[in-house]
Amino acid sequence: MAEYFTARGMPVPRELTRGPLSDWRRNVTVILTMAVLAIGFKILDIDLSRSNPNYMGQVLLQLVQFDWSVMTPQSEFETFWDTAGGLMIVTIFLGIMGTAFALVVALPLSFLGARNIMAGNPITNGIYVAVRLLFTIIRSIDVLIVCLIVLPLFGLGNASGVFALAFHNVGVMGKLYSEAIEGIDAGPAEAMTATGANRFQVIWAAIVPQLVNPFISFTIYRLDTNVRLANVIGLVGGGGIGVALFQNIQLLRYHTAGTFILLIVITVAAMDFISAQVRKRLV
Amino acid sequence: MAALVSIRELTKTYPTGTRALDGVSLDFHKGEFVVLIGLSGSGKSTLLRCINRLVDPTSGTVTFDGIDVTRAKGAELRRIRRRIGMIFQQFNLVRRSSVFTNVLAGRLGYRTTWRTIAGRPSRDDVALAFENLGRVGIVEKAFGRADALSGGQQQRVGIARALMQRPELMLADEPVASLDPATSHSVMKYLEEINKKDGITVICSLHFLSLARRYGTRVIALKAGKVAFDGRPAEIDDRRFKEIYGEDAVEVEIGLGPQAPVPVEAGDSVDAAALDPRIPPDR
Repeated sequence: MAEYFTARGMPVPRELTRGPLSDWRRNVTVILTMAVLAIGFKILDIDLSRSNPNYMGQVLLQLVQFDWSVMTPQSEFETFWDTAGGLMIVTIFLGIMGTAFALVVALPLSFLGARNIMAGNPITNGIYVAVRLLFTIIRSIDVLIVCLIVLPLFGLGNASGVFALAFHNVGVMGKLYSEAIEGIDAGPAEAMTATGANRFQVIWAAIVPQLVNPFISFTIYRLDTNVRLANVIGLVGGGGIGVALFQNIQLLRYHTAGTFILLIVITVAAMDFISAQVRKRLV
Repeated sequence: MAALVSIRELTKTYPTGTRALDGVSLDFHKGEFVVLIGLSGSGKSTLLRCINRLVDPTSGTVTFDGIDVTRAKGAELRRIRRRIGMIFQQFNLVRRSSVFTNVLAGRLGYRTTWRTIAGRPSRDDVALAFENLGRVGIVEKAFGRADALSGGQQQRVGIARALMQRPELMLADEPVASLDPATSHSVMKYLEEINKKDGITVICSLHFLSLARRYGTRVIALKAGKVAFDGRPAEIDDRRFKEIYGEDAVEVEIGLGPQAPVPVEAGDSVDAAALDPRIPPDR
């Protein structure tokens, strides 16, 4: 290739002369990455000498020897809602309610957090920045942390779990919705402004119709994620199947824990599949 | 006769520093079919958008029917806008809404916000929508999605939407720049019809001088934000053409009529204009 340029008396482009490792930036990147990993090993003190594969093997074996007794009430004090199936349904509804409460708050806020709607005037622009900042702060507090914080308010159980899911998801869904609003085609809004429509009418008639599908799609995606999160929120006392799973693991009842995990895997996989199918049809 | 639109010393400098209009003064009279020509970036779109204030001019005034558009605010501005229809190069339809819904949107300026949300159009608006869809020959597609139509059909929906306003002035920003030559003529003929039959003043920016000569009663050329020519289409000779478009420019003809057989627009079984008895054969 280089001859093409030298034969014509032209400078040879750098892309042709540079070998795969001759670029110093590439070398620096490789060295830096190795250094970070080495530091990580050192600081975390990752030591495999204390591992116990034998015990782990026993536990794994117990996990897959499912104990189906948890699927039925075991005493006169237990009802369907204490069985694994009942707890699974409770967990799914934790996710649904958390998503629903988050939706109600995030939806109106997302318009205030969309640059294309709020631009043009220092006050509205300030609101835009504030709302986006709020979303970021809320989003940075993980569901489990929110749940632990509100335990004194709501106590152990579903209320804390739903609140934690809803709170964190205001930040996540608000951001997703805002970005969907920012991604719309501005042409129809311009056309409707030209007809003499007021600001609200423009949003309603030109912007909202473009948002229906992306909003439904994002909501289903979050619903799917939230049901998954609802499984672990029980670990910190947020209710649902996670509580039972946590207790069983602590009591070393791996047969029962395995049944719970199987149930969770099936549910999450099903949600994932359904959500992907529905969203595929929406595009 | 008093001018319908009167522009005085209009200047627009964008925040980027681009001076799109530089002291433009023009009068547009009732019933004119004005064609704006000029290179890309010469200020055609900005001039059109200053008339209905989709763009706020930096200085200068625009009066429409004796009202100062540049000073108008809020409801007064919207009342002016609804008397001025506008169509766009990219049609600016809500792509996933029906043709009918898009056409009804032309009525937004006459509707209250509450009525927009309630979503039930008045009987008169529905009748007017079908009348205008009939005029542009797409009644049978009324309940299909707007993006299922061909480009020429979408632009006709754009015209129908603008006609819903019962405008006195029609602004057309490169209405045929996204269309093939045959479809361009079909769309231009509808504009010619509303100009001649309804007496709606048309200000239309175009790229092809041949279209300007064929449809315009007056041609205005912009060059670097200034008026470079203002007169009858026939007055543009070779020398003027080179003044407007530069020394290197060559005039391109856009096929007209039987001497250059016009292909039928995709999606139309026949050229709608050829069938429509209200549109006189041109030539």
